Amino acid sequence: MSTVALDDVVKNLEDLPSLPAVVMELLTCIDQDDADISVLAKKVSHDSALTAKTLRLANSSLYGLQVKVTTIQQAITFLGFQTTRNLITAAAVTGCFAEGRCQGFDDKAFWRHSIASAACCKVIARRVRFNQDYAFTAGLLHDIGRLVLVSTYPAEYTAAMAYRRLHDSEVLDAEQAVMGVDHVQAGMALAEHWNFSETMRLAIAHHHDPDAPGAGLLASIVHVANAIVHALDIAKDDHELVPPVSRSAWTALGLHEEAWRHVFRETELQFEEIALILMG
Amino acid sequence: MSAAYQHLALAEVMPGMILSDELLDRQGQVLLPKGAVLTAKTIALLPSHGIDMLAVLRRDGSAAASQSDPASVQRRQDKLFRKYDPDNIDDWATGMLRRYILDYRLDRESAP
Repeated sequence: MSTVALDDVVKNLEDLPSLPAVVMELLTCIDQDDADISVLAKKVSHDSALTAKTLRLANSSLYGLQVKVTTIQQAITFLGFQTTRNLITAAAVTGCFAEGRCQGFDDKAFWRHSIASAACCKVIARRVRFNQDYAFTAGLLHDIGRLVLVSTYPAEYTAAMAYRRLHDSEVLDAEQAVMGVDHVQAGMALAEHWNFSETMRLAIAHHHDPDAPGAGLLASIVHVANAIVHALDIAKDDHELVPPVSRSAWTALGLHEEAWRHVFRETELQFEEIALILMG
Repeated sequence: MSAAYQHLALAEVMPGMILSDELLDRQGQVLLPKGAVLTAKTIALLPSHGIDMLAVLRRDGSAAASQSDPASVQRRQDKLFRKYDPDNIDDWATGMLRRYILDYRLDRESAP
């Protein structure tokens, strides 16, 4: 099978499902903390499915709110603009790609892995005092490039997944071997197309090589969380394989065994709850 | 969402479970917030506040079943970490993760 050029992947991004306009707007104004809250709340409220999902996330035990929020405006008041924006993004992205279009690709397993990674990143971020909202979103989107490849080249991706099973290789190596592009490159292209922040781009770019110069702590968090979620066997994938863990990423997080056990437990518990909301 | 919760008698409540709602005592005072992770210590204190039942998030039944037997836990872990080579000293971080995950899986098994 002929390989795919990265340029073609980029060209095809235009044909990908787009996020709701309001979410695109949220992503572009990421550096404006004083975005007009009431305008935003009003715009999101026009999308009732998006609003419902966002509010269920806000009311989940992830955020331990003492009050039940019933409007986007309230969510912003209690959780803050940053957190609410990330919840809206998570709710929008998980509903945006059509499922079942590529035979060799298990959409459910993909989202189970992504959601568990999001939960795990958030739990680790709290431990290492990193921004939990960034961590959650980066965990959720770190493999988004796989969906780009699946949507634009379903036949080639099916072949790549067959190669992976045959050679018992990692997803990234199978993609490179069969298609000549991988989900990190595709994810980078999408992150640019969707105007993700620099922090998020770095995390997507370096979750497989957090040792790269300038990769940043978020890449280390996503890298380790990814390995943990594979090891916890959450995606329920028959060919599940734990990738090697970078020594420097592991050391950079600096947690001891008791803390890790707590991370494992919380990841499993939070996953169940978020998966019900985002995959329901 | 109600399927995500289950009501348990205190004797069935185990450390690590998460409260699905805030927990009130007989006077209606909040003892624990919604989403609190229960510890052995907290659970031991609950009877003195008159609590004999509480609502926790439901766990995934199939995951619990697959962890029932230490030998099968070990086999599954060996499979998940099949590319890890214990003799490769440079790969110690993967080795630590493997050990912690295995301890975690087996320990929870021996919990009451």
